[in-house]
Amino acid sequence: MNSRRDFLRQMSATALAIGAVPPLLRALPQEQIIDIPGEDGLIVRSFRFVDLESPVQYFDTWLTPVPRFFVRNHMHEPSELDASDWRLTVGGEVEKPVTLSLAELSKLETHSVVNTLECAGNGRGLQRPQVPGVQWGKGAVGTARFSGPRLRDVLQRAGVKTTGKHVMFRGLDEVPGKVPPFIRSIPIEKALDGDTLIATQMNGSPLTKHHGFPARALVPGWIGAASCKWLTEVKVLEAEFVGNFMSSGYRLPNQPVKPGEAVKPEDTHPVTALSVKSVIAGPFDGSNAKAGRVIVHGAAWAGEADIVKVEVSTDAGASWSPAKLGRERAHYAWRLWSFDWKAGKGGDYVVQSRATDSQGRTQPASAVWNPSGYLYNAVDQVKVHVG
Amino acid sequence: MWDKSETRFSSDAGQQVPDRAFGPVRNDRFYKISWLWAVGVLVWTLGITLPFSMHAQKSESLTAELPAGPMQAKATTACTECHEARIILQQRLSKAAWTKEVDKMIKWGAVVDAADRDGLIDYLSTNFSADKPAYEPPRSAPIKGGERNSSK
Repeated sequence: MNSRRDFLRQMSATALAIGAVPPLLRALPQEQIIDIPGEDGLIVRSFRFVDLESPVQYFDTWLTPVPRFFVRNHMHEPSELDASDWRLTVGGEVEKPVTLSLAELSKLETHSVVNTLECAGNGRGLQRPQVPGVQWGKGAVGTARFSGPRLRDVLQRAGVKTTGKHVMFRGLDEVPGKVPPFIRSIPIEKALDGDTLIATQMNGSPLTKHHGFPARALVPGWIGAASCKWLTEVKVLEAEFVGNFMSSGYRLPNQPVKPGEAVKPEDTHPVTALSVKSVIAGPFDGSNAKAGRVIVHGAAWAGEADIVKVEVSTDAGASWSPAKLGRERAHYAWRLWSFDWKAGKGGDYVVQSRATDSQGRTQPASAVWNPSGYLYNAVDQVKVHVG
Repeated sequence: MWDKSETRFSSDAGQQVPDRAFGPVRNDRFYKISWLWAVGVLVWTLGITLPFSMHAQKSESLTAELPAGPMQAKATTACTECHEARIILQQRLSKAAWTKEVDKMIKWGAVVDAADRDGLIDYLSTNFSADKPAYEPPRSAPIKGGERNSSK
């Protein structure tokens, strides 16, 4: 009898525990699962190197929890990382090169920036014709509160010479074969901006290894590739760094090109700030809804600009209505938005979202094609069956 | 989607319940109620858990494999030294684009005999051309209670 009661109790406890599993996961199709400690139900674009994407359904909180935050690695993560041995060197075009330990770094004034970090290649998988690279869907983006000393304070300690025009970051990631190292640079003006950080924390906790422990650059409003992880060297240069990920990769054509057309390197420029963009987090693409009130919601961001408007269409773009913007906001962070859709007649609907920013940019109906699939920002859409 | 799974797995689970979990039903009213309740809980639980155990059974190894073909072994050696096969499995490219990629990778250290270069390009552009259906990526395992611990 006791065992029966114990059994019932255990069953109830189990049921309750399982009932606490996020509803999203119950909706997962039967697909393959890989165990990646610390990461919560992310789409595995690649396991080696680690490239993980957030399902869009996760974009319903202003801050993205770290286990749900996309991960983009170009190389192997550092095999050994000891915080007590870690050093950051600052050199190049400076008066007095300095080396800082993590303890010394933590003595500098801490500044926090809520930033929407997006991989330049987010949405590459939606480009037609297809281009090579990680075939990201819509979820190589997330928003977190990054904290750490300002890069400016570290650079000022070393004293930037007037010849210093660019600042280069080197990380501790391990390069296989003869692959060029993942090194890029940012202009000195952006490096000296009071919101550009050497971040050591994400959402109030030390960075996890996947996100660059113990320290990463955080270049707010710019493509994720600017924010070098496992940072170990900051070097002030006289000009833009010359190397694969600066001179060939992460560049956009100066003029629009025909889809599929090749572009000469001299006709390109580095990708810097993010585009204006919105994504629908719900309802899910291909889902069913009952006639009546359906909440269409998502997130919208614009890099260094502010979101001023998000519009929703439930008739495939024929007419647009303003969505309500969320209360939480910060300069470089996305705005959540929602729209009360009164779904009347049964049938199939194409629901779209379109953001406009403070620079007057509006999400285009189709994205501007480019050979590497950067900054895809076409109007987002989901198909919903009402019945 | 969930509704369908729940119905299917619930009914399967219901058939398994009497023999495996409990034993003969007694006439005692208390037990009858407990019994019904237990079945209800079990059906509800399995309805939620079975899709996960199905996933667990389908759990794939950390490495994916390149498709069979004359260049499978050589492509595996040349490419997966630095990155896993999934990077290739998700590409949908023209032969011209594959040629560019292969030459770039050779420059970056991929070991490909000169005699194998064209065969490798053929293998990749045949198996991963633009007209092939999209690759379905796996997911990382969910963290239990991940939604509740969403502040960090």
